[in-house]
Amino acid sequence: MSDYLTISDALDALRDNKITATELVQDAFAAADAVDSELGIYLARFDEQALAAAAEADRIYAAGDPAGALLGIPLGIKDIISTLEGETTAQSLVLDREWGAAIGDAVVTARLRAAGGVITGKLTTMEYATGVPDPTKPFPIPKNPWNTDYWTGGSSSGTGSGVASGAILGGLGTDTGGSIRIPAAFCGISGLKATFGRVPKSGCVPLGYSLDNIGPMARSARDCALMLNVLAGYDASDPCAAEQPVEDYVAGLTGDLSGLTIGLDRLALVYADRDPAIDPAIDAAVKALTALGAKVVDVTLPLWDELSAATRITSRSEAFAYHAPDLQSRWDDYFEATRQGVGAAVAFSGADYVQAQRVRRVGQKALAALFETVDLVITPTSSVAGWSLDELGSMTERFLAMHTGYFNAVGNPALVVPMGFNDIGLPLSLQVVGRPFDETTVLRAGDAFQRVSDFHLAVPPMMSSVAVA
Amino acid sequence: MHSNEEKLAVVLEMSGITPPAEDQEAILRAFSTGRELSKLIFSVAQARYEEPALIFSARV
Repeated sequence: MSDYLTISDALDALRDNKITATELVQDAFAAADAVDSELGIYLARFDEQALAAAAEADRIYAAGDPAGALLGIPLGIKDIISTLEGETTAQSLVLDREWGAAIGDAVVTARLRAAGGVITGKLTTMEYATGVPDPTKPFPIPKNPWNTDYWTGGSSSGTGSGVASGAILGGLGTDTGGSIRIPAAFCGISGLKATFGRVPKSGCVPLGYSLDNIGPMARSARDCALMLNVLAGYDASDPCAAEQPVEDYVAGLTGDLSGLTIGLDRLALVYADRDPAIDPAIDAAVKALTALGAKVVDVTLPLWDELSAATRITSRSEAFAYHAPDLQSRWDDYFEATRQGVGAAVAFSGADYVQAQRVRRVGQKALAALFETVDLVITPTSSVAGWSLDELGSMTERFLAMHTGYFNAVGNPALVVPMGFNDIGLPLSLQVVGRPFDETTVLRAGDAFQRVSDFHLAVPPMMSSVAVA
Repeated sequence: MHSNEEKLAVVLEMSGITPPAEDQEAILRAFSTGRELSKLIFSVAQARYEEPALIFSARV
């Protein structure tokens, strides 16, 4: 296969009778059949149910009333989000399978299904959405389609590699400190952490209660907008869900950035071993955004180190509250990185946790002041294009190199889009951040950039030998 | 003054966690980093009289 469809293209093809939903799903499964044993995309596949749903979508298309916004689109679900079809494992030996069974579809799963999305299966994650792979545990090791010696990034690993390899057209990830944006960046696709509270997270295994987000991962910003149209909106089952108006995010994709001021923080000094390809890629992105009508100015994000620290303290403390009973009784059943990372939360006191929340409030105010002078902020998503599976480095090194957790502390929406490749062919990524609940402008900028660039349409070389429609 | 190693032993015991020897070094490293992070967030002067980003509602 030399190319495969975006969600937007697939919907056009379905409406024009150029492809059927059954063919789309069969193609996606064929791609997965070809590469999954190497890439570690799926934990469970729902072939029979997905093909039945696709047949129903085809019947609706044939009847001439295709109402669902994602009707017939094959979508995967990260396996910390509950689904009717199969068990939810969090890629862990520890999680009680009855938890997900009692829930059935999470709110987001039900919303995708109601929009006609075809749920293809459950996708790999890092255990409980944190840490790195553990080869001693009986789960797949997610590998990067761009270079299988490299990690996909985490924790929404299977969603990242699945979209990049055409095994799904889109899917759900979750993001507590970057778990949508990092695998999207490393796998060369787009991913959106919407504003905290924009998408209900009930039915999802928690990591950090006040930091967790469920969001779309797909090839393009436009596809993310299509999915957000379905996912966004209040639901009383999530106490963190925001009662905010939901816009039509696709309608906001005008391709025009005239009148927007974009702040650029290169974050050049936060990680010493920065990939030299990043700054030329940023320069080219700035040139493109300027040509699209935006004014780009240099800014400094306030309290970078302090807010990044607040994210780590909050995330670890909230995770520890959830995991403490199992860490006490089932230490060895956890992945090494999970037990060491979450267990180390014993370093933090109750006062540390509350102070982290006070710093978050200070940071929100400081960032709001910055957003009085700019409409968006852009940064590199990460200072590296990835790590080889043999050299995943320390937790602290990974936290420093990835520039995502700061925005979980403040809650603002952040979209990542591919912006080039480094000298060994690994994708580079641009992060676009907006004001709270202004996903429209964030997505408009990402989509406009993708109208004048094609990095998001690039296909990993390993897929050239996969013969799918 | 107690070392981080001694402090870690105390808080692990308080938490009921008994990691095996092979995990101790990594946890000690993370513990030491954690204490540095705590110092960093308490150094934010603007937070001295700030409210925390916590919301409690009397209604469920």
